Amino acid sequence: MSDAVAGNNSELEAASRIEVDRSAEWVVTIYWASSIFWLFFATFAGLISSIKLHSPDFLGSYEWLTFGRIRPVHWDTAIYGFGGTAASGTLLWLQARLCQTRIPFPTLLIAGGVIYNLGVLLGAIGILMGQSTGVETLEFPLWSMPLLVIPYVFIVIANFQMYFTRKSTHTYVSQWYLMAVTIWFPILILAAEACTNLGAVDGVAQAVANWWYGHNVVGLFATPTAIAAAYYLIPKVIGKPIHSYHLSLLGFWSNAIFYNWAGTHHLTGGPLPAWTITVGVVGSMMMFIPVITIGINHHMTMVGSFHLLKTSPTLRFAVMGSMIYTLASFQGSIEALRSYQEITHFTHYTIGHVHFGMYGFFAPLMFAMMYYAMPRLTGNEWSSALLIRIHFWCTLVGTLLYTIAMCYAGIRQGLMMNDPTIPFLNIVVFTKPFLMLRTLAGLILLSGTVAFAINFWRIVQPRKLRFITPTLLTTERDYKELLQWEKEIEAND
Amino acid sequence: MFYVFVFIWGFAMVAGITMVWLLAWAIRKGEFKDLRSGARSIFDEEEPVGMVTDYFPGEAPLMRQLEKRQ
Repeated sequence: MSDAVAGNNSELEAASRIEVDRSAEWVVTIYWASSIFWLFFATFAGLISSIKLHSPDFLGSYEWLTFGRIRPVHWDTAIYGFGGTAASGTLLWLQARLCQTRIPFPTLLIAGGVIYNLGVLLGAIGILMGQSTGVETLEFPLWSMPLLVIPYVFIVIANFQMYFTRKSTHTYVSQWYLMAVTIWFPILILAAEACTNLGAVDGVAQAVANWWYGHNVVGLFATPTAIAAAYYLIPKVIGKPIHSYHLSLLGFWSNAIFYNWAGTHHLTGGPLPAWTITVGVVGSMMMFIPVITIGINHHMTMVGSFHLLKTSPTLRFAVMGSMIYTLASFQGSIEALRSYQEITHFTHYTIGHVHFGMYGFFAPLMFAMMYYAMPRLTGNEWSSALLIRIHFWCTLVGTLLYTIAMCYAGIRQGLMMNDPTIPFLNIVVFTKPFLMLRTLAGLILLSGTVAFAINFWRIVQPRKLRFITPTLLTTERDYKELLQWEKEIEAND
Repeated sequence: MFYVFVFIWGFAMVAGITMVWLLAWAIRKGEFKDLRSGARSIFDEEEPVGMVTDYFPGEAPLMRQLEKRQ
């Protein structure tokens, strides 16, 4: 009797999960597909910027491709184009799954996705036309920003709608992060736009608002979404609960309290009152608390399951992202110290750190989420294990090469700049080979993106047969059988 | 400009109060009481603790059922 009840419950849970996944299929696929497009676009724009640094004449006759335009296009399309759509897709699917509820008003969310992408496109065109605001990370012309903000309101409403109509009884730690993101991000962007491009404040106060935003858009938008993904994916893939749920909640609340204060460390040495910088340094030091708790939790959860890295694509990317989160966060906190910044400030070191965080931590966790969710959303299997492996190794090697080259060059550059006997041109010449290594790293990362895009394109193709089992654990025999069935059906048709 | 400041601070206050309210609400609801079962809430009978749920395509050790979809 109890077996029969258990069996029925099991079927209900499975049906619910499939129902949730199917309701999210189109919405989430559109957000993630556009995120891959923007990742390719942003990486390509970054590549052009990188080449210009060691070969300044490259595309030098096109004013719309000058460094001052193509570089902000690279960063803004990376953070809003790739980051915004990847994080939104992740937020919607993960919240639907954890709430065990269907995604509400899918048509509106799809329309929002289209408007958002249009906003990013118009913003990028605006910068290329020379209409950049000049405020870092908020370079998109002001007229394009409503197209980014309004669709996000739909996502915020959908997020709370799912939460308050949820069938689950417990608020999982990932949901804390997802709920927080939807509260924090609108405040961040509206306050930053008001204080910078709308001119509510001016002078150094504008710089403070700029870097408060610049740092927090990574820490209170990208980071929480990626951590939410890690807290779901790692235990779910290996079939083991989080090592310490207490630590995970301590990590969330300490992150919520301390991260917001760290931004002003970007202005060390600037014409600001010393206490504003000190606040940023202290906030950065306090970030050791959430970083250590999250790092311990992820690592200890994985203990005994590291062998699964060989067999699970999702786990590879998730563990890569989680480990680099710890490393990049330690690096970032130490980087905030005044004594350290005397060497690294205004050097390539900072660029290395940013890419270490965005491409080593955030992006792999978004990839992990897509690798896990897309087969469940579409009912199809990834078409090529080889392409997944190429994507993974390109991401890992490209990120490490980029980070090591830039950080080493940055430290040497900083030490030389602090020595007044060394001519500035000698320093430029010294950094040139490392800038070429950066271009090579960008090419490797771009190759990985192409491999991922091919696999993604194939998985979203409509097929006559779809897996309907709640998990897609396919053997080679399963897969061949599926393809054979498809051929037979096509022949019969 | 005064209204911009009112807007920023008003929005920040609403958001801050919302976060505090959410925390108080979660405590009242007992979200932090049974953390052990909370950590297990992502598992169920179909995907229980101990079950690995992701493999490279075509490389899973288990035979899974394929079913035709309309």
